Amino acid sequence: MGTFWLAVGVGAFWLALGASSRVDLVGEPILGFAAAETKVTTKQLSPEIEARIQELWPRFPPQNAAKALCIPVLYLAQQQFGMVDDEVVDLVAARLSLPAAHVKGTATFYTMFNKKPVGRFHLQICTNIACQITGAYGVFDRCKQRLAVENHGTTEDGNVTLSEVECLAACGYGPVAQIAERGKPDIPLYFENLDLERIEKILDALAEGRVPVDLGS
Amino acid sequence: MGWFDLKIISRHFDVPQAKDIDYYVEHGGYAAARQAVRMDPAAITTEVKESNLRGRGGAGFPTGIKWGFVPKGAQTVYLVVNADESEPGTFKDRHILFWNPHMLIEGMIIAARALGVKSAYVYMRGEMLREYPVLQTAIDEAYAKGFLGARCFGSDMPLDITIYRGAGAYICGEETALLSSLEGGRGWPRLKPPFPAVKGLWGQPTIVNNVETIANLPWIIEHGGKAFADLGVGRSGGLRIVSVCGHVNRPGVYELPLSVTGRELIEEVCGGIRNGRKVKGVIPGGVSMPLLTEAELDVPFEFDALQTDERIAEVEVQPGVKFDLGGGRTLRTMAGSGGVVVMDDQTDMVSACWRILHFFADESCGQCTPCREGTGWLTKVAKRIDAGQGRPGDVDLMASIADGIAGNTICALGDAAAWPTLAFLTKYRGEFEAKIRSSRFVAEQRAAAEAAASQAVHPGQAGKAVQASKAVQASKAVQQGGVTS
Repeated sequence: MGTFWLAVGVGAFWLALGASSRVDLVGEPILGFAAAETKVTTKQLSPEIEARIQELWPRFPPQNAAKALCIPVLYLAQQQFGMVDDEVVDLVAARLSLPAAHVKGTATFYTMFNKKPVGRFHLQICTNIACQITGAYGVFDRCKQRLAVENHGTTEDGNVTLSEVECLAACGYGPVAQIAERGKPDIPLYFENLDLERIEKILDALAEGRVPVDLGS
Repeated sequence: MGWFDLKIISRHFDVPQAKDIDYYVEHGGYAAARQAVRMDPAAITTEVKESNLRGRGGAGFPTGIKWGFVPKGAQTVYLVVNADESEPGTFKDRHILFWNPHMLIEGMIIAARALGVKSAYVYMRGEMLREYPVLQTAIDEAYAKGFLGARCFGSDMPLDITIYRGAGAYICGEETALLSSLEGGRGWPRLKPPFPAVKGLWGQPTIVNNVETIANLPWIIEHGGKAFADLGVGRSGGLRIVSVCGHVNRPGVYELPLSVTGRELIEEVCGGIRNGRKVKGVIPGGVSMPLLTEAELDVPFEFDALQTDERIAEVEVQPGVKFDLGGGRTLRTMAGSGGVVVMDDQTDMVSACWRILHFFADESCGQCTPCREGTGWLTKVAKRIDAGQGRPGDVDLMASIADGIAGNTICALGDAAAWPTLAFLTKYRGEFEAKIRSSRFVAEQRAAAEAAASQAVHPGQAGKAVQASKAVQASKAVQQGGVTS
């Protein structure tokens, strides 16, 4: 019996501790079901996204369309907001009447959805086998050195995020990179056959605030 | 070299106008599809079966037989083209999508007719930003001409094609993972059976075919299944598109007869090895496949030959112990996706093995424990060997982890990590062992053991002797292959 009451006592203490510390940290009661409803966001999906949803919806069976549109709408939302954070997840979930857990589970599964803000330019360098054996790590290390960042890091001025990525399906022309620019339509270029000289030129261009399209193919 | 002359899919490569529907039609395009929409569907399947066309995505499964698995009388059947090309070393589908989008669309119309499909999807890699607008424009053109839509070529056959873009996940190239993704969720593979042909997209019968597989269909309808089979070798019909990368003088995408050997591919097609070096290893079909040594290159790069030719060594778990593929079958290698990675004699095989494993650990979807944990551990052990921190027993440890993954997962990604690992260890074991012998870990252990032993010989205090015996024990434990940290 003594053990039982000890357990109850510890449990009550633990609950009290947990509850009080959570109130302190978040500033609202832990059982606040109202919290989700009252969360205010200023973000809204753009009319362009709405139009695209209308266009894509009939491409899928009616009962499956909302879920099937999860990935396409996440893409569009990322183009609009620059990333897919919890707020964007909630927006997409609300629009498609999907559980936020499903949308977040999907968004976090795929590498192309940025869960954190990225720089104006996102420089993505493949280091997979074909690029590795043709010198990708030399190129990648030069980028890290010159930008003074580690993998997935963003320069202090917010200009460039550097990421090591997996195979981009251009193995014959490695090392290969892809560059994304915030707010611009997707750039349909790869930067191939990189060496230390070419990567310097690319980094120069990004520092000047432009994508070196002349070096792409 | 007569065998270079015939081109099926690649005849439009490097012809910028071929993306334009008028150019494509002027050069005979869409004639086969126009014919197919008025053919008996069963007759199309018969031609495809006769053609010995085998799936070009990696498994090499006969396409006509796959089609035959769709239940008779099924009301809704889906066709999904797998354009999620992401097997390292493979870059052929991206080429087809960019240079020859109409041949893919034409092939899809033919397949749709054979299977009774009204809605077809192209699941395209998210990273293919150059190819996406090209294919979308081509689809729009085909709609405008009345080749797609409610009445394809004025027939009673309706067909819609929709591009669905992936978002960065290698696993979505696995057909059931692809379907999970297309349904709008995580790309998690599903247990088979049921196979997609019976229960696929949204629970309906679904055929998932690779880009190159589908793009071969117009030629098969135009020339007949037998003509296609005659181009091939044994039970593999047609030509094959291979993509060659690594240390060759002319990397690229080539459409070749299946009889071409690895050596012909490297020496004649790709102009040999850069800087006059020699070949050390060749991955014949994407990094999931066991690699070949220089001595094994005289085998044709064809599905059956690569699996059975005795000139290729069998992959082992331990020296002398063959890896069991199930039912007592052994593993040599496979033709896979046609992605050939050529490594010259200066390539560090331990480092290459580590980078391949790093990829699989990164891309494991996390459903099955053997794969999720095993690929992570394989990567860690390979990395420490590569970084000069290898421990005695690490080679056996890697083999045992790989053997524990293989065959124990829902999809083939686990095998795809295990097989090349075992091949690296079978064929380049000496390189791994040499790195371990010269590792800092081994040197430190040896120094510690020697220091302790010398203390034990001249015991100043009783405690030192105890310490020494502990150090010797630790050293032995390490040699037996335990991972202690």
